Amino acid sequence: MARFALRRLLHASATVLLAVTLAFVLAHAAPGEPMLADAERLRADAGTVARLREDFGLDRPLWTQYALWLANVARGDLGQSFTTRRPVAELLLERIPPTLLLTVSALALAVVSGVTLGTLQAARAGTALDGLLGAATTIAHSIPVFWLGLLLLLVFGQQLGWLPLGGMSSPLAESTMGAMERVWDVLRHLVLPGLTLALVQAATFARHQRSAVLDALGEDFVRAARARGVGEARALLRHALRASLAPTITLAGMAVPALLAGTVLVETVFGWPGMGRLTADAIAARDYNVLQAVALVAGVAAALGTLAADLSLAALDPRHRK
Amino acid sequence: MVVAIPGDADALLPPIATSQVGAQIADLLFPRLAALTHELNTVDDSGFVPVLAERWERRDSLTIAFHLDPRGRWRDGVPITAGDVVFSHEVYSDPAVGSPYRANLSRVVRVSAESEHVAVVRFSGWYPEQLYDVAHYLRVLPRHLLDSVPRASLASSRFAREPIGSGPFRFVRWRPGELIEVEADTTWFRGRPRLDRIVFRVLPDVPAAVTALLAGEADAMEVIPQRDELERVRRDTTVRLVPYPSPFVAGVAFNLRRPQFAERELRRALAMATDRATIVRSLFGEWGEVPPGATSRMQWISQSDVRQLPFDTAAAARLLDSLGWRDGNSDGVRERAGRPLRFTLLVPTTSRLRQEGAVLLQAQWRRIGVDLRVRAVDFPVFDRETRAGNFDAAFFSRTLDPSPASIAQYFGTAGIGGDNIGAWSDPAFDSLVAAATSARTREQALPRWRAALERLNDEAAAIHIYAPRNHAAIARRITNVTIRPDYWLATVESWGRATDASSRGH
Repeated sequence: MARFALRRLLHASATVLLAVTLAFVLAHAAPGEPMLADAERLRADAGTVARLREDFGLDRPLWTQYALWLANVARGDLGQSFTTRRPVAELLLERIPPTLLLTVSALALAVVSGVTLGTLQAARAGTALDGLLGAATTIAHSIPVFWLGLLLLLVFGQQLGWLPLGGMSSPLAESTMGAMERVWDVLRHLVLPGLTLALVQAATFARHQRSAVLDALGEDFVRAARARGVGEARALLRHALRASLAPTITLAGMAVPALLAGTVLVETVFGWPGMGRLTADAIAARDYNVLQAVALVAGVAAALGTLAADLSLAALDPRHRK
Repeated sequence: MVVAIPGDADALLPPIATSQVGAQIADLLFPRLAALTHELNTVDDSGFVPVLAERWERRDSLTIAFHLDPRGRWRDGVPITAGDVVFSHEVYSDPAVGSPYRANLSRVVRVSAESEHVAVVRFSGWYPEQLYDVAHYLRVLPRHLLDSVPRASLASSRFAREPIGSGPFRFVRWRPGELIEVEADTTWFRGRPRLDRIVFRVLPDVPAAVTALLAGEADAMEVIPQRDELERVRRDTTVRLVPYPSPFVAGVAFNLRRPQFAERELRRALAMATDRATIVRSLFGEWGEVPPGATSRMQWISQSDVRQLPFDTAAAARLLDSLGWRDGNSDGVRERAGRPLRFTLLVPTTSRLRQEGAVLLQAQWRRIGVDLRVRAVDFPVFDRETRAGNFDAAFFSRTLDPSPASIAQYFGTAGIGGDNIGAWSDPAFDSLVAAATSARTREQALPRWRAALERLNDEAAAIHIYAPRNHAAIARRITNVTIRPDYWLATVESWGRATDASSRGH
């Protein structure tokens, strides 16, 4: 198991390195320069622009910039943001907690609802309910996440007025709230972005879970259980469901990159102050250092998600340790 | 009061706060020595009112002495002194700080502390906007708190994020990407602000901000740039639109590095073939207007009867004919020496208005045989290409300063390589601007500015196509709202908040 874990860890590290290299190349290949010298905004003269370029090392060859960035990262220095001129690590530390709250909540919601729906579909396979849920999950899977977000915002935020329209808290009321009220306030703000992010993933989980449970229901151990007089509900929940969860664990790990990618749009639509929003702003401003750092964090998170899934699977079923 | 803002601030330290939001909030925390009045008269001393300075005197044509109000205090209780003014000038002027306002203070040669409360500013030469430059661009910073911070690290310092100022509001908190909060300083020596707190809330875009406003989750927006969103607000009874003169003007700049556009009559033909009134109507309806030229409504030199080229497609066609541009092969596009009259207009994808305007221009110019290609690019690309001169024509949008001198930056020979993206160089215009900027009074300056603006229009250095009619959107529960055009929150200390019950039904 230890050798397996080490092998997977090396694999994950190589993936992260590849991801950040790719991010570096793509960011620099995109046309446009960092907005150090936004003519309409800064009215900076040519000398100031040249000095800023020099300060940020943008006057050096690309490979030198990349090597320097890697060396600095190895020392724990992620550089400075071109736009705010603050340490990138500081910016990330501010933005990671909201994104973590959003993605973890969305993942939990997606797994629970996806597994429940998929299991229900498998239990009622071939019925109208199965067909209805199948159609619903297909639609949910096909909807662009930003469109879904806008739709939810329009209905539950604007039309019905049940939930806040965006942000992470109610700024004016916040100072008069107690601790529990603040938690409740954040939860209310979390509902729509969390739901938006979770729905697409929940559809994926449901579809996989349905086929996994159906497969398990046809396995010998379930048939044997039934032969021993175990009821249908118990055979489903105790035996088939348990056996079908292994691919779901893998899928949950694999969902982390998709969720992180989704946060860029969801956080922008809902004004959620997390890493996704930071990424969108950094892309617009060509803030290379922030983009690189985000790619690094996202790469590490994705690799950790996959690693955790691999290790859990290997722990559950030794055949996966190969 | 909750103010909906379109993006987060970059910093709250005046010399380095370059984002619009950052600069606006910094204004609440760091007041000026003197402030412009609503007339935005930048040349006469009578156009200013005391803030940190209780008065000022002109010792000679090169010297202004500012007498600081002894009641002024930093939020930590330390008095504001002339030493702070001296220190502030050093910070703004230091290349290591990289302040974009450094150039605006380039004619200030020395600032010295004559006594604890008298700061003396010395200029390199006489010019009418001496007071404006110091009062408008130089904010007083606390020497005792910033002296030990290396200048190159000011931008990344804690102070730039959690400033201690001397204004009517004090900084409370900044949650990046979400909100910035300031609260009233009850001890502000010019009187306590009526609003207890202002929360600047980051909202992703204009529709989201308007929705928050209409839902009561926000109280104010500086400007609503989209016609459909303006209509939404107008239909609502809880929010009102407050008009104020706009600092914006947008149009097409020709790149005179291209031999094609060095031809004056071609530029004039294009200007005369532009039906600006129709473009404005299509883009804005009643919410926009045709600008009289390179100036904005906000500037004191703005005059609506400045001479302009008429919209006259027949005359435009005759001009092109006379230049030898004719449609020989009847494909609808004129040619000369086998070369079609074709060029590209660069527009940024971030501006829906400019993209739509470009399409309308394309259709209008097609009627006189011009094949205009529209190239929409990401803003950083637009910025890079226009700065480098890699374009035929560019659809620009400018936010002008109260000072008309900013027009010279965009069209003066000295601005080439900087804001003068089209590399327009005209000695006659330069001398007219020089005469206007050296006029001793507003009355002397006005006709000179008119002549300069008319010269630009005659030469068609650019076509100024639209200017929005600015409207702030303010919840009716916010009372006593007045707006100074260059800075909409300039008088926010006097704004108040009615109870929700009393504001209903107004």
